[in-house]
Amino acid sequence: MRRFLVIVFLWLFLLCLTYSASAETFTCLACHSAMKGKIRTEGGTVIDVNVDSERYATSVHGGFDCLMCHKQFSLNPHEPAKIGNIPKNIAALAGKIAHKAKVDPVALAACTECHDSVYNMVQESVHGKNVIEKKQSDGALCTDCHGSPHYITPKSTATSLVNKKNIVKTCGECHENENLAKKYDFGTHILDRYYESFHGKKYVIGHPNAPTCVNCHSYHDIRMWDDPKSPVAWDNRTATCGKCHKGATKKFVTAITHKPIGKHNPIPYWFEKGLIVLLLSVFAFIVGHVVIEAFAEIRDRVFRKGGGH
Amino acid sequence: MNNELPKEYLRFNVIERIQHVILFITFLLLTFTGWALKYPEITIEHQRWWISMWGGAKTAGLIHRIAGITMLIDFVWHVIYLGYMLSTGKMKVRKDTTIVPLPKDISDLIKNMLYFLGIGKEKPQFGRFSYIHKFDYWAVFWGMGIIGASGFFLAFPVQVSFLFPSWSVNWMWEVISIMHSDEALLAIVFILFWHFYNEHLKWDKFPMSTTWITGKITMEQMRHEHPLEYELEFGSKKGANK
Repeated sequence: MRRFLVIVFLWLFLLCLTYSASAETFTCLACHSAMKGKIRTEGGTVIDVNVDSERYATSVHGGFDCLMCHKQFSLNPHEPAKIGNIPKNIAALAGKIAHKAKVDPVALAACTECHDSVYNMVQESVHGKNVIEKKQSDGALCTDCHGSPHYITPKSTATSLVNKKNIVKTCGECHENENLAKKYDFGTHILDRYYESFHGKKYVIGHPNAPTCVNCHSYHDIRMWDDPKSPVAWDNRTATCGKCHKGATKKFVTAITHKPIGKHNPIPYWFEKGLIVLLLSVFAFIVGHVVIEAFAEIRDRVFRKGGGH
Repeated sequence: MNNELPKEYLRFNVIERIQHVILFITFLLLTFTGWALKYPEITIEHQRWWISMWGGAKTAGLIHRIAGITMLIDFVWHVIYLGYMLSTGKMKVRKDTTIVPLPKDISDLIKNMLYFLGIGKEKPQFGRFSYIHKFDYWAVFWGMGIIGASGFFLAFPVQVSFLFPSWSVNWMWEVISIMHSDEALLAIVFILFWHFYNEHLKWDKFPMSTTWITGKITMEQMRHEHPLEYELEFGSKKGANK
């Protein structure tokens, strides 16, 4: 019996080792899961160095050692970072995106170790080029859409920022931002116009086939519409729209523009205004007619005793 | 009551009644399933609940399309039926029985309003269809044209896109969506107020007139509500008047 128990405990212990973060991660998290507030780096950026250990454990990366991504740190905490230990491709990428990463550029570059094909796509995308070629710190990389790597959950879960239920809002984090819209010259009306469209309305009420931003614009390899590789580029649209609308023609695919209704698109604007005038006048007429008729009817029945016929 | 006179008068024959029943069933289905798309951004929780009552967005969309096409078929049937009735002389366009709007309807409206307001002493004398009925009837025609056509376009966007010249596609679909949605609201409000008041809530009709089932109205009603038609049909039979 005793031998049996020992075996069971040993097995459970091994199980713990396999399925949870390693001892080393526990060591880091001993402090880094109990930190309150934020700290200011030498560069002046305010960063959060706390990790919610419970959420981390349930994320898709929950079994990782901290150092798997935070490669420039060694086992001895807070010893000066050593670039030498980092694989060359990651170090190079980290150099290219250093201005973007608030906390640890190496960790942000380390995604490529497992997700290299996706990361290559991102680097070619309008979001990636903005960071790498135009050196903008507010461009989007992995964490801007997926959230902190510590808490990434599978796309199918409701907490995932790229889940179908959340993806439009996630895109909106930047694409509805006034400052970014001004800087990069995109309109903040895009999401509103999407929500007003039949695609957006269907999405909001939960139609399973309703397209979101990414169904037409793609995601990791997202590009400007005038880039010939973009799925919404003129020559690719019939194929893109054709995914749902079989037999889509050149004429059909010009239908969606996300154009704001108003100065630039006066016909729908004035058409809607005209319809509203028509609606309100008809409402006024029928409601007015019904109300005074009802009063006259009561008057006739009560005070004129069925007169009037 | 004179023996020569029947007690009831057949106002709508069975074909007209069936057309009406199909019309209102499809209208209600279209209203209920389409409503969730009208203001989803404002009251999303209610709209999600409401659409789940109709089997979810996908099922509701299917019901909406089936009901829409049924309604359009009903409408086409009605127009063909009218053509048949008129060409065979079974239906004649006469001043006091026609549904076609005439100048008299304007003066009837003014007269009626003055009476309601207590200024006029007499109610107008109506034929088979008062201006209220005519408005009710032609509003459906208007709705069929506007909502029916735009709904058809929205249901088959790829197939109908060849209809629009290329300089119009940039705004045409916006216009079609606005048309469908705003005109549908107009139709709903119109039915709720105009049709419900005049055919359900009125003092002597509440809770509803049974004419839509039997097709018949009483001679009493005929005399009071449609005096000109009464005169035309039974005027020669003396003693018919009170």
